[in-house]
Amino acid sequence: MKFDPATYKITDGGKFGRIMLVTGLIGLALAAVGFAVDREHFFFAYLTAFTFWVTIALGALFFVMLQHLTSSTWSVVIRRIVESLTAPLPWLFLLFIPLLFGLHQLYEWSHADVVAADAVLKAKSGFLNPTFFTIRAVVYFAVWCGLAHFLYHASVAQDSGHREEHRKRMRTLSAPGMIIFVITTTFAGWDWLMSLDPHWYSTIFGVYFFSGGLWAILATIVIVVALLQRRGVLTKEITVEHYHDLGKLLFGFTIFWTYIGFSQYFLQWYANIPEETKWYLNRWVGSWKAVSMVILWGHFVLPFGILIFRGVKRSPRLLMIMAVYCVVMHWVDHYWMAFPTLNKDGVHFSWIEIAATVGIGGIFVWAFWTKFISRAVIPVADPHLNESINFRNM
Amino acid sequence: MAAAEAKELQQLPLVLGDKKYDNVTRDIIAPVETFPKKLWWIAFSVALTVFGVHMTAIAVVVGTGLGLLGINNPVGWGTFIINFVFWIGIGHAGTLISAVLYVFRQQWRTAINRSAEAMTIFAVACAGIFPNIHVGRLWFIFWAMPYPNERGVLWPNFRSPLVWDVFAISTYLTISLVFWYAGLVPDFASIRDRIKESDAVQKIRKSVYSVLSLGWVGSTRAWAHYEAMAMILAGLSFPLVLSVHSIVSFDFATSVIPGWHTTIFPPYFVIGAIFSGFGMVLTLLIIMREVFHFQDYITIKHLENMAKVTMLTGSLVGLAYSTEFFMAWYSGSPFEGFAFINRMFGPYWWAYWIMVSCNVITPQLFWFKSIRTNPTLLWIISIFVNIGMWFERYVIVVTSLHRDYLPSSWDMYIMTNWDFAILIGSFGMFFTLFLLFVRVFPAIAIAEIKMVMKSPGAKGFGH
Repeated sequence: MKFDPATYKITDGGKFGRIMLVTGLIGLALAAVGFAVDREHFFFAYLTAFTFWVTIALGALFFVMLQHLTSSTWSVVIRRIVESLTAPLPWLFLLFIPLLFGLHQLYEWSHADVVAADAVLKAKSGFLNPTFFTIRAVVYFAVWCGLAHFLYHASVAQDSGHREEHRKRMRTLSAPGMIIFVITTTFAGWDWLMSLDPHWYSTIFGVYFFSGGLWAILATIVIVVALLQRRGVLTKEITVEHYHDLGKLLFGFTIFWTYIGFSQYFLQWYANIPEETKWYLNRWVGSWKAVSMVILWGHFVLPFGILIFRGVKRSPRLLMIMAVYCVVMHWVDHYWMAFPTLNKDGVHFSWIEIAATVGIGGIFVWAFWTKFISRAVIPVADPHLNESINFRNM
Repeated sequence: MAAAEAKELQQLPLVLGDKKYDNVTRDIIAPVETFPKKLWWIAFSVALTVFGVHMTAIAVVVGTGLGLLGINNPVGWGTFIINFVFWIGIGHAGTLISAVLYVFRQQWRTAINRSAEAMTIFAVACAGIFPNIHVGRLWFIFWAMPYPNERGVLWPNFRSPLVWDVFAISTYLTISLVFWYAGLVPDFASIRDRIKESDAVQKIRKSVYSVLSLGWVGSTRAWAHYEAMAMILAGLSFPLVLSVHSIVSFDFATSVIPGWHTTIFPPYFVIGAIFSGFGMVLTLLIIMREVFHFQDYITIKHLENMAKVTMLTGSLVGLAYSTEFFMAWYSGSPFEGFAFINRMFGPYWWAYWIMVSCNVITPQLFWFKSIRTNPTLLWIISIFVNIGMWFERYVIVVTSLHRDYLPSSWDMYIMTNWDFAILIGSFGMFFTLFLLFVRVFPAIAIAEIKMVMKSPGAKGFGH
């Protein structure tokens, strides 16, 4: 890999992209073997992997729009990285298609005979049916890919010389973009994960789906920055101050995720209505109890207790370790949301989960990387760039 | 070059009119140092009278009994709970501005945090009255406090959200008060230092402000401690912005009543609280900046930013309404579905549609820059926000209760004159306190405003 510090371009991306692509394809091929071995298990594994990666890309999209709307200066140096992390969205759309062939394995509501015999499912069949489900998914991806595309291109257009209209375009796009993003993401969460248990419902579920993604993207940014710096990219521009800010946000959104998760759990536990509590009861059976405990202690208590220290946030090495840990926890969270529908008696972890996650992940990283190296690695002409580089925490 | 660069970067100064530090002190302390004008006296006497009505009505209701009010069976929670939630919500903008925006390095907050925080404290004070009188026997309210007692094993029920309220709100009031007071210390010292002990009145003023300023001299050391403390207090207040109204929402959401029990309630209540708080901040500050000539400090930029927060939170509240509505259908439960259809088209349809039009539709006008930079229009819209958020609580409390599971027990809730007197009276209390505040305390944080100004002779971004 070669980096040109004068133009801020990675002139030669090396083999990394190709390695990732091949890894992804091998992963997907292995997952396809999983399909042949155990069809149901494969689809649940694939859904877990898919929602895990898609929430990270959605987190990136949200982060970019948020920075535009708040006119943040500290984040200008990392903006291009986050913009490039939205690049996998069109590929994730493509990778969504296999799920459509697994609707019968995944979703109880897709069986006409089951629905006909169940009054509650019948009542919601206007919403939960394969055709509308597919249409909605197409709409979500059209919105997300469109937003990501326009925001990215408005941003790279700025590289050849800043004009006020560039900033204006990014901001005017972000405001309505935020609204349609929130609506589509909420519905996506309901569609893909909540409707796995079609009798169960929770108004906050969309927020929960989103909050995990936002948490994971912050961790992902830390990982990408730290790995780039190891290869000598942006070593002077991204400083410990930026790590500190990312660490603070990661800490803050650890609490936010917990707040949302707790609100959902607590209110359903307290009211104790059977149709609501069964979702948690399913996650309290056999070895699922342990996974539920991992979510509580691993997704909240541990990162909270560690990230609270200033020293951790200001140490790229420690923060990187925490970031990797957080991404793993994000995966466990999605596993915990999806799999209890299939494995009702307890955890049956298999290699198919790993294959699917690595498969989609390889494509994800490859799509990110090819986009990332195609342009300057920071918004070189942004008028706030200098301010961002020289940014200091209080 | 510097001007062109500033324009390019759109760095509008936070203080207009080429001010020196001395001008700032003078401008902001002016209302505290001059004898109140006629306008203030008129406003104050009106507010005080209404406050008097409040206290009288409360005395009568407590003395006679809750039968004077509109509450009945099944609507056992009436205006007292509505007003309680309304006033607690109002307070949230203050904490958001003083703590959350501080943590997020939003420097524009400095011009508005002092008044917004004062508003928080007064709103919480107004709110605090309602649960006390709601219980009917005010003199037993101390039973809510857990302490080893002579009543044997009689302890408050820790599983009751009403007890959590006691803790959440008293914590909130304490932290807000400490944060507010700590910020006032350097400004009290500024007032103290400017007093010339010419006569007995001035001597008394001097001694009062000396005590209030806790001997502040403004040494570098003191400032270093001060800034560290501000950060810690902001960090402590930040979660309170979320926790207080979340716990208030638990009062409803832990029940099994359709329209009350829904998992989105905690964040939805918090967002609504911030929305209503910003509505009230706009209502108060737009008048204050005119009367006290603070236009150079609370600039159009500040108002515009507040308008944007109002629009964002208003839209999020709209999202929560739609989510609830959709989920009521999606749940497949006839009770859930009925609760929401009844809200929209039942006997209280007007309350529901006032709520939606004031909270969701009106703030959408802020998409237009010409509207969000026009103080008069902003003020009018802020009134709509206040009205809408009161009705939101009305809708939640009344419509969910008046038609419960058993049709034979359905009833209507009609407010009596005592309900109205106590509702309107609480505004009297709020404005009395606020008017006193702007008389004796600097309404803008002088020391903090100076930190975000360009330091004299400095070329860059100042502090």
